[in-house]
Amino acid sequence: MNRLALIASLLATAAQAEEPLVPSFVEETEASGVASSYDGGWEYMVGGGVAAFDCSGDGFPDLAFAGGESAASLWRNLSAQGGPLRFEKVESGIEMDGVTGTYPLDVDGDGVQDLMLLRQGESVLMRGLGACRFERADESWGFRAPDAWTSAFSATWEDGAEWPTLALGTYIDPKEEFFPWGTCTDNLLFRPEGRRFGGPLPLRPSYCALSMLFSDWDRSGTPALRIANDREYYKGGQEQMWRVPPGAVPSLYTEAEGWKYLRIWGMGIASRDLDGDGYPEYALSSMMDNKLQTLMRAPGDGAAPRPDYSDVAFPKGAIAQRPYTGGDVRPSTGWHVEFADVNNDTRPDLFIAKGNVDEMPDFAAQDPNNLLLLCDDGTFREAGLEAGIASMAVSRGGTLADLNLDGLPDLVVTNRRANAQLWRNATEGAGHWLELRLEQPGPNRDGVGAWIEVRLADGVHSREVTVGGGQAGGSMGWWHMGLGAAEEAEVRVVWPHGEAGEWETVRADGFYVLSPDAAARAWSPG
Amino acid sequence: MGFMRGVAAVAAALALASAAEARPSPEEVLQLDTRLALELTRHTPTTSPPVASRAFAYLYVAAYEAVAGGSGDLVSLAGQLDGLEPLPPREAGATYDEGVVLQAALSTAMADLYSHTGPTGQRALTRMAERLADGVADGVPPEVEERSRAQGEAVARHVLAWAEGDGGAVVENMGFPLAWDLPKGDGLWVPTSRIVQQQLPLLPRWGGNRTFAMPDGAACPLPPPPAYSTEPGSAFMAEAEEVLDARRGLTDEQRAIARFWSDDPMLTSTPPGHWIAIAEQVLDAQDADAERRVEVLARLSVAMADAFIGCWHEKFVYNYVRPVTVIKAQLDPTFEPLLITPPFPEYPSGHSTQSAAAAVVLTAMFGEDFAFTDASHEDDGLPARSFPSFEAAAEEAAMSRLYGGIHFRSAIEQGLAQGRCVGAYAVALRTRP
Repeated sequence: MNRLALIASLLATAAQAEEPLVPSFVEETEASGVASSYDGGWEYMVGGGVAAFDCSGDGFPDLAFAGGESAASLWRNLSAQGGPLRFEKVESGIEMDGVTGTYPLDVDGDGVQDLMLLRQGESVLMRGLGACRFERADESWGFRAPDAWTSAFSATWEDGAEWPTLALGTYIDPKEEFFPWGTCTDNLLFRPEGRRFGGPLPLRPSYCALSMLFSDWDRSGTPALRIANDREYYKGGQEQMWRVPPGAVPSLYTEAEGWKYLRIWGMGIASRDLDGDGYPEYALSSMMDNKLQTLMRAPGDGAAPRPDYSDVAFPKGAIAQRPYTGGDVRPSTGWHVEFADVNNDTRPDLFIAKGNVDEMPDFAAQDPNNLLLLCDDGTFREAGLEAGIASMAVSRGGTLADLNLDGLPDLVVTNRRANAQLWRNATEGAGHWLELRLEQPGPNRDGVGAWIEVRLADGVHSREVTVGGGQAGGSMGWWHMGLGAAEEAEVRVVWPHGEAGEWETVRADGFYVLSPDAAARAWSPG
Repeated sequence: MGFMRGVAAVAAALALASAAEARPSPEEVLQLDTRLALELTRHTPTTSPPVASRAFAYLYVAAYEAVAGGSGDLVSLAGQLDGLEPLPPREAGATYDEGVVLQAALSTAMADLYSHTGPTGQRALTRMAERLADGVADGVPPEVEERSRAQGEAVARHVLAWAEGDGGAVVENMGFPLAWDLPKGDGLWVPTSRIVQQQLPLLPRWGGNRTFAMPDGAACPLPPPPAYSTEPGSAFMAEAEEVLDARRGLTDEQRAIARFWSDDPMLTSTPPGHWIAIAEQVLDAQDADAERRVEVLARLSVAMADAFIGCWHEKFVYNYVRPVTVIKAQLDPTFEPLLITPPFPEYPSGHSTQSAAAAVVLTAMFGEDFAFTDASHEDDGLPARSFPSFEAAAEEAAMSRLYGGIHFRSAIEQGLAQGRCVGAYAVALRTRP
């Protein structure tokens, strides 16, 4: 082999090494039995979330869908481990209309997931009774949601609190016929008073929130509330981040502190530490102008960072501004956004649900969902078409949950006026994995606000346990981490408000329940 | 009370009261539809500033002709505006209701000119048209209502048919061409945005559109901007350094000025919308009647539409580079302009050109040294600003682009000069016998 041929060969090898494994998703919507459509007119142009969580107690994630004008629905997971996706609809008590979004969380710490139902009208907090049954708990828990167009949700456990603090995001005044612009209604913070909720605290100014996320952006142990706001409807608004000191009056981060004056059609928020510096990056979905934010300066000396973010979506290839297939060249409209390592190569990949707001002629009508694979050079590569998830339905919500507990995140996407779609992740040759669930005694059983850390040869991979973000829907249960070639990994949890557990080595390809001051407990279905 | 909130009170009354209690006057019809047009401009992605100026021009020419057709005091613009043929005549001796005529003309024109708006805009357009149509017709004999509505619609359709042939009727991909040969070289425009769509310039052919009152897009030519040179002390570098120095030493007042006149598309009603709002505030303060309103708004919007055509003509003659490109490359790689740099060539400044054209028209209509206060952006949290004259407001609008870091001084000064030239054509239109 001459020298040039050798160099070419080496370059080709290097290129192959850098190319991420393209996952393979098999659509199993029809066979799964799930039939849920996000219906309705103008009042339901946003929302359409889906929640993945175990309500039956078998460890498999069940699904709760917002139905818009149609009834919300709950689907029990009947899938076998590693098998095809199968669900059955169950009468659960959540079958009400007007539901725009669904988020699971265990409010009362009884080990049973409760369900926040965002609604066009009065939002409802449903207490989980077990066996996928729920009952309205607004009155018994003192939760008094206003009659509003509710569009976003997040929750955190403030330091010392027994119950969570709930943030409810609202949108425009739907009764305003002629000039709805500038009618953003108040976002609300519900703090607990013992084992019930106190009256809501308005978060003013409010700018038509479409996604909220309590996130420990500076690793201080006290999460702040990021809000993605829809510039279509606010006046004088921008993206926001509220400082929420435990029990104290929230205040907005300011330009003087480093917060940038950013105005987008904020639709969804997802967080994940992509660069291994210990601080989360944030993906913000929007129309045409998706963002990927990273701290301008991540301090390495233990000092507190400034909330000064740089948008790296364009250089990192995560911009996803227009359809990548189908021939429609108009800009895209992004909704649910979520990180998940779909090929278990240790790198979080980015999913964005896409779909026209409603016959907006300036934006793509044929708008495929994105699956952006994170490459080892830190850039993203579009793989939606090759992976088989390039649906042209008008999508809204979604979740990447491991529905058949085979170690690969599957995909659920909700659609406007059309059936939701389910894809089973059937990737051959994917890497090893872990699925971890947190369980701590007393309040906040699921460890919301904790950081899960997995130490591999190339460094520490971490993810934050949150309730909120995405587009009107979220998940609770197993937290998935790809391990690549590693057959074992060290894991630990930095529990909410900062107490780090011990590193512990666990075998790959298994499920573990992690609790404070206890060894990881292996779990298996059945 | 802010400008928008004042009109909101009228809208609220309209929404709450029964038709019999709230028959809107022609003036109120104009106010409400103007407010809606400003909102639709803001919330329709296609309506970039040039497109917005065109929509306003056709909307208010339609309104003007609808009113002029029943007025002995206004003269039709047919034959004065390029290509506008005589409007459909009214039936001799027949009775018309002027409110119904005007409402029908405005609703018909708006539905067409803002057809790209989204679901909320479409919903508002429909509801407003229905409610106003019911309101203005209250108490009007059915045959008069039908005749009047038909007349208003005919006037609007005539204007819209005229609009079809001006070169600006079809705007695809929000005005960004799918293919365009970008001239390359030192000192020439390069994309400054990270939005994929904006890697080619906005509406590069807009300068070839048919004009309204001025002869064509080249009617107000400009001298070349400073020649590109990175030599220290060159005129080019001096202007770049001025922008950088302004950014570094920005005062609170300069920051407020930059934000006040920022008028970004999709975040505001755009620069032409801002001047429409100024005119509305002045007309409201004078309790102007419908004839006066359409006279002012038609002249003003025609001037601004011509200004954008003339400005865009020159922009693509020179294809001049933006300050952010030069400053980052030559002076300070960390430079970030306060405002969003628009995705098209720099010279001349569009806001400067159209603001000067607007000021010329409004000065002609309201007089020299006409002091006014502009509360257009109070709803957006920007305090009202007061000006001793329209010209002073235009000059502040022009300088705001330097404070904002998106224009050099030459683009501002020559933009103002071009705008004065353009505005004179609109002033020369004959509206009174």
